Amino acid sequence: MFQLEELIIHFLLNFVAREDLNAFLRNPQYTATLVGSLIAVSGALLGTFLLLRGMSLTSDAISHTVLLGIVVAFILMGSVFGKHPDLSSVWLIVGAAAAGVATVLLTELIYRSGLVKQDAALGLAFPLLFAIAVILVSRVVSDVHLDEDAVMVGEIGVAWANTNSHCLNDCETVTITPDDSRAELTRQCTNCRDLGISPRDDKAEFTEICTNCGHYSPAQAWQAGFTQREPILVFWPKSITVMAVLTLLTIVVVVLLYKELKLSTFDPTLAAALGFRPTLLHYGLMVMVSLVAVGAFDAVGSILVVAFFIIPPAAAYLLTDRLPRMLVYSSLIGAAGAYTGYDLARGNLLGVVHVSDILAALNNLFGLGLSEQWDSSISASMVLMTFLFFLAAWIFSPKYGLVSTMLRRSNQRRSFDDQVVLGHIHRHQGHAAESDELTASTLYRHFRWSPAKMERTLRQLRARNLVQIEADQVSLTDRGETHAHRFRQTQLTNESVGELST
Amino acid sequence: MAINQQKTTNNRSSDQRIWLLIGATALIAALFVPFSQIFLHVEYDYTLRTVALGGALLGIVSGVLGCFAVLRRQSLLGDALSHAALPGVALAFLFFGRDLGLLLVGAGVTSWLGVFFIRLVTNTTRIKQDAAMGIVLAAWFAAGIALLVYIQARPDASQAGLDTFIFGQAAAIVERDVRLIAVVGALSFIVLALFWKEFKLITFDAEFAGANGFRVNILSMALSTLIVVAIVLGLQLAGVILMVGMLIASGIAARQWTNQLGQMVILSAVFGAFAGGAGAIISAVDADIPTGPLIVVVAFLLVALSLGFAPGRGLVWTLLRRRADRSRFAAQTMLQDLYHYATDHGSVDLAAPESFLFGVRGATAKLGLQQLQARGHAQRSNGAWMLTPPGIDAAADEARNPAAGRPPPAGIEAAAHDDRNHQLWAVYRQYADDLALPTVAEDRQQPIANALPPAAVAKLEYKLDTIRNAATTPSSE
Repeated sequence: MFQLEELIIHFLLNFVAREDLNAFLRNPQYTATLVGSLIAVSGALLGTFLLLRGMSLTSDAISHTVLLGIVVAFILMGSVFGKHPDLSSVWLIVGAAAAGVATVLLTELIYRSGLVKQDAALGLAFPLLFAIAVILVSRVVSDVHLDEDAVMVGEIGVAWANTNSHCLNDCETVTITPDDSRAELTRQCTNCRDLGISPRDDKAEFTEICTNCGHYSPAQAWQAGFTQREPILVFWPKSITVMAVLTLLTIVVVVLLYKELKLSTFDPTLAAALGFRPTLLHYGLMVMVSLVAVGAFDAVGSILVVAFFIIPPAAAYLLTDRLPRMLVYSSLIGAAGAYTGYDLARGNLLGVVHVSDILAALNNLFGLGLSEQWDSSISASMVLMTFLFFLAAWIFSPKYGLVSTMLRRSNQRRSFDDQVVLGHIHRHQGHAAESDELTASTLYRHFRWSPAKMERTLRQLRARNLVQIEADQVSLTDRGETHAHRFRQTQLTNESVGELST
Repeated sequence: MAINQQKTTNNRSSDQRIWLLIGATALIAALFVPFSQIFLHVEYDYTLRTVALGGALLGIVSGVLGCFAVLRRQSLLGDALSHAALPGVALAFLFFGRDLGLLLVGAGVTSWLGVFFIRLVTNTTRIKQDAAMGIVLAAWFAAGIALLVYIQARPDASQAGLDTFIFGQAAAIVERDVRLIAVVGALSFIVLALFWKEFKLITFDAEFAGANGFRVNILSMALSTLIVVAIVLGLQLAGVILMVGMLIASGIAARQWTNQLGQMVILSAVFGAFAGGAGAIISAVDADIPTGPLIVVVAFLLVALSLGFAPGRGLVWTLLRRRADRSRFAAQTMLQDLYHYATDHGSVDLAAPESFLFGVRGATAKLGLQQLQARGHAQRSNGAWMLTPPGIDAAADEARNPAAGRPPPAGIEAAAHDDRNHQLWAVYRQYADDLALPTVAEDRQQPIANALPPAAVAKLEYKLDTIRNAATTPSSE
């Protein structure tokens, strides 16, 4: 990871000055947005396939049980190497991926018994694994910074602060040994506690220990004042590297295995028949989901990462019928959610509404005395913005949206009404009861409509020059005649075709 | 008529078994208290009494209502709704301050809005229920976190402990909360009892209920509301993540033992009480063990036991029965083989060479001959097998009248028929949902044609044949 960051930094420095790069990376907003977008894109790409496979909630289960993998890896590392790894260690990621696969395996095992339905199997498996993880956390690793709070909720706003420092120039690493002149030595009583005596006692024995010995990176050495010249540094947030690598991996997997994923998603039987190994793909997908979930957990927390797996694909699903577009749309929606979410956390909803105004209005209305300073969780706000985009897609989608569905239905209803009236006139024109059947003012009775509805329909038909009314008698115009005739003809053709095929 | 009578006695004895099981579980649950005192050295102070009682009551409430979630295939609804409760807690706190009752009302309201949203999305779009639940889970939870973070920025300390709703904190439960659980739980049981018939109907056959003029939408909303009530009551103890385990585990365990809703609900209540109470008590052994997760683990142990050992359905049971079937079938086959071989070659006591039998029948031959030898129907001499006089009688008996064989060694065809029946039942269990078959009591000793309409049996037969063909055709994997 470290070398990779070096490479990226050297590459970037060809285009931007070091100061600008540092300024960019030290800006909480830029870093948070960047990390959030990376999570959103990788989540959206994988989530699209999950949604189409009807497995959306598996991502929820996996993101919970990731905790078990982290905890077990943590404990194993501790007992094998005698040293607990830090939270971005590769081994924890491996453990988390294993836990993700274990969740899926356990679910299938329960389901395969044939005694439990699929949803119930999932609902049994992940609370169990999560419960075990929580018990382990509180029993075994209670003294370390690894609690379920940190794993579940997370905060992307501090992503910029957790950095690796990369030195470009004037790099001087310092190693302080006990016989160095800069070493700070203190005396420590070795037997005071055992004997229960004070250090001033005669029997006390002392050793000298060095409090500042060890290896200092250039940045640490400069900070501790061991070096004279300030090193030229770039501070690179760790989350960016992790998420960038994962996003890249996701994109590569989706592009390379596009055909296989597509086929095994839409027609698993055919995929199996063609030798595509749907089972292998299935578990591969689950490994990817676990990796992204664990990579994202210390930035957005593992419950909220679920949002990036489910909501953007669901929104994209309402916008298009084509898989490539769905992948692009869901990535864009996720990234847009991450981008606008940062502002929402600071109380600014798309630059239109300010949350503090709403709070002030609430205070005025109910006298609640709420703080009017809205400063909230960034990751949660990103999810909320993504959800807002989902709502927008749901309402305004040109094909599946609420508005367009409503318009389409009312159009269909109206054209049906028109057709019925035209047909009625066509049928009775020039026949015996014509004067009775085609009186404009009483026409509505033959349809059992309200007079207003009939009036509206007739008005429209007249406007389209299909019917005319003379002396309260309705009749078809020439145009209306051809229209009704043509309609009858197509209907008849349709019917006969229908008969033939049945 | 005779069959009917047998059926009722059968039912009555299985009824008795369930009531015995319910009683035994309740007894074990009651005995767990002195057991823990003597062997685990648990001290029953005020806190533990409250928490254990609360856990047990909660186990009853969520056990009873969870049954419906399990049966309606909405197990994960519990997960979505418990997450969806969080913003309600936060909002209620903002508007009304820290009063547990009102916090729970707030939680209920947002959970219920979650139910409503899920229904709306699935009704108006092509998004499936699981994705809709995921959306509610994530978005509502995010709103809750956003509000909590905003609340935590307040200068005063009144908000302390609101986040215990995320992970649950058993120690925070006081006597008032237990009373609240008891009262609200009792109220929801009364509603359940009043609409028992309706709820039962929409759970098992919503279309039939709709056709008979029941308001399925309203009823299913009411049932979801009851599930919301159970979730909201459990939040404080189990937290939003583990609540789903508490809700469904005891229902799933109870489902394995019985096919009757009433018995299932009561058994589930007892299981839930045991898991809740025992989990709380065990967690008191060591201060470091959190209560909520332990309750879930105990409940899962109950599920594992039930999946393994439930009579008629459990895995151990199935395994034993399959083995018995196989050896009975093998004995029948070998008896017939020996008999036909001998009669075809002229004399009934002619011996068939062992290598020939093994070559033709493989493993079946070995198993079947062992059985016949043990029964005294066949004997081995000089590497060949021949029937003994009683064996010849038995074989001749069956050859004459294969279908009406005597009960213990039933005729081959009867055995094959029986085998087929078992396989059909297995297909039914696995694919009943996919094939949209009616839900009936699963009794493998009974011919499936007696339990299901002919069309359904035809579907099953077809499915079984396709599975077999798929299994025998070499696949590319």
